[in-house]
Amino acid sequence: MLRGFYTAASGMQAQQRRQEALSNNLANAQTPGFKQDQAAIRAFPELLINQVGKKNIPTTRPFSVPTQQPIGSINTGVYVQETISDHQQGGLQETGMTTDMALINVELPDETGGIFFAVQNADGEVRYTRNGNFTIDGEGYLTTNQGYYVLNQAGEPIFTDGQVFSVTSEGELEVGGTVIPLNIAYTENVNDLIKDDHDLFTFTEGTGEAVDARGVAGLTFAVQQRYLESSNVDLVQTMTDMMQAFRLFEANQKVLQAYDQSMDIAVNQVGRLT
Amino acid sequence: MSRMNIQAAVTMGQLQNKIDLISHNVANLNTNGYKARSSNFSSLIYQNINNLKDVDANAPGRHTPHGIRLGSGARIGHTNINLTAGSLNITNRGLDVALLRDNHLLQIQVTENGNTETRYTRDGSLYLQPVDGGQVMLTTSDGHPVIGQSGGAIMFDENIEDIRINEIGQIVTVRNGVEVVEDGLAVVEAVRPQFLQAAGKNLFRLPNLEGTPYVAADIVSTVNQFDNEIQSGALEQSNVDLATQMAELLQTQRAYQYNARTITMHDQMRGLINQLR
Repeated sequence: MLRGFYTAASGMQAQQRRQEALSNNLANAQTPGFKQDQAAIRAFPELLINQVGKKNIPTTRPFSVPTQQPIGSINTGVYVQETISDHQQGGLQETGMTTDMALINVELPDETGGIFFAVQNADGEVRYTRNGNFTIDGEGYLTTNQGYYVLNQAGEPIFTDGQVFSVTSEGELEVGGTVIPLNIAYTENVNDLIKDDHDLFTFTEGTGEAVDARGVAGLTFAVQQRYLESSNVDLVQTMTDMMQAFRLFEANQKVLQAYDQSMDIAVNQVGRLT
Repeated sequence: MSRMNIQAAVTMGQLQNKIDLISHNVANLNTNGYKARSSNFSSLIYQNINNLKDVDANAPGRHTPHGIRLGSGARIGHTNINLTAGSLNITNRGLDVALLRDNHLLQIQVTENGNTETRYTRDGSLYLQPVDGGQVMLTTSDGHPVIGQSGGAIMFDENIEDIRINEIGQIVTVRNGVEVVEDGLAVVEAVRPQFLQAAGKNLFRLPNLEGTPYVAADIVSTVNQFDNEIQSGALEQSNVDLATQMAELLQTQRAYQYNARTITMHDQMRGLINQLR
């Protein structure tokens, strides 16, 4: 058996997966608050190869003992282990819309920490987003562009009554004389969050939780109304990565072809009778 | 296998919509009282893929929860109307008016398929149209009557020497050298301007309020005549900023190209698979 057949095929598959993550980044280059995904590639678990042989013992009645000689370790392939979202702050873009807000990390106590707007999805569960491209629904509530309620500090939907409102940099929404603090959530480790549909992030069961960002020591943030946080996709980097992934895909294909040629020789030349 | 193609194709379709929107804005660069529209993207659903059956073997060195998540592209989240006022263009024409207060709108009576409805506009280029009985009626450039303080169309006798509209929206005519106040424009203020729907021909209409806690008066409220601030002899230009639109157009077009590249690249990858044998 030629082990490398599968190794080369796994290489093609891994690059394909990586391309899928990259092309989604490219597709979301204009999505506000989008965090680009990076595919981490990892080798298959290591295997130890042993040379299995036997040794003849020169005695009157010859007999042989099996021997094992370790050769070294081998990895029989490669796969995309995880897709990690890069939570770096995106650039700010002015839109002039009162319902647009950008969340700015000024100072975070943890290197892996992140702050988010808390919203409520269709099932009434809390989700997190960096996309501050909000709107007002027909009943006067502040919602995301999917119609999910944006939450206030008490975890309730924000009623704007459809009127023009202003947002201070502390994240306090003022409408008709009422001050409603937005729910800004903080998590120590953004890697606990996974991407949910439509720009939302969520925790999987058993991992991390978000706390109220206002109560966290050493944390400062700012909310900028009439601005949006741009997607943090680096187009040049993404295109370069895609080209690299493409060439690696191609190289693996060539290796696969080489194995196929070896196989061809083994089957059709070596074993030829005439 | 074809996820890449779908991601790119879906996104290209949505980017095309954005280009359509931009071209609509640019086409209305010279439409009086036009309000620019903008669109923003939102990502589509994510698929969770369990890449290995043995999650523990997959765990070492991981930063994120189990499985990998791959997205499926982007789409336009919603379109927004930018309601800021446009700049004024002085025309010195007596029947041109510009509403200086934000969110103030003129009321227009539109009859379509036998239904009469009140619509709203900030386009103040008004005209006189002769009606039966030697009278003239104040209308928009499309011939729809403008609603006056009386609640109906603004009509008065013809034979006018001069006509102008004063700063509180009164229509003042000059007959035999005497100024007469005929009627006043009934201006409304959009209290909840986000609820207004574009109805085409530069007009806004009220949305269907059924099932919402609002009534029409919550969306637009009548403005006291003396609170009007009207500039006659001027028109409000469209608030489309050409430079912004062009920048957006370039950016969107590039994004379109990038996604087209994804399709090309994916096609080449499939070609490589085909060449395996």
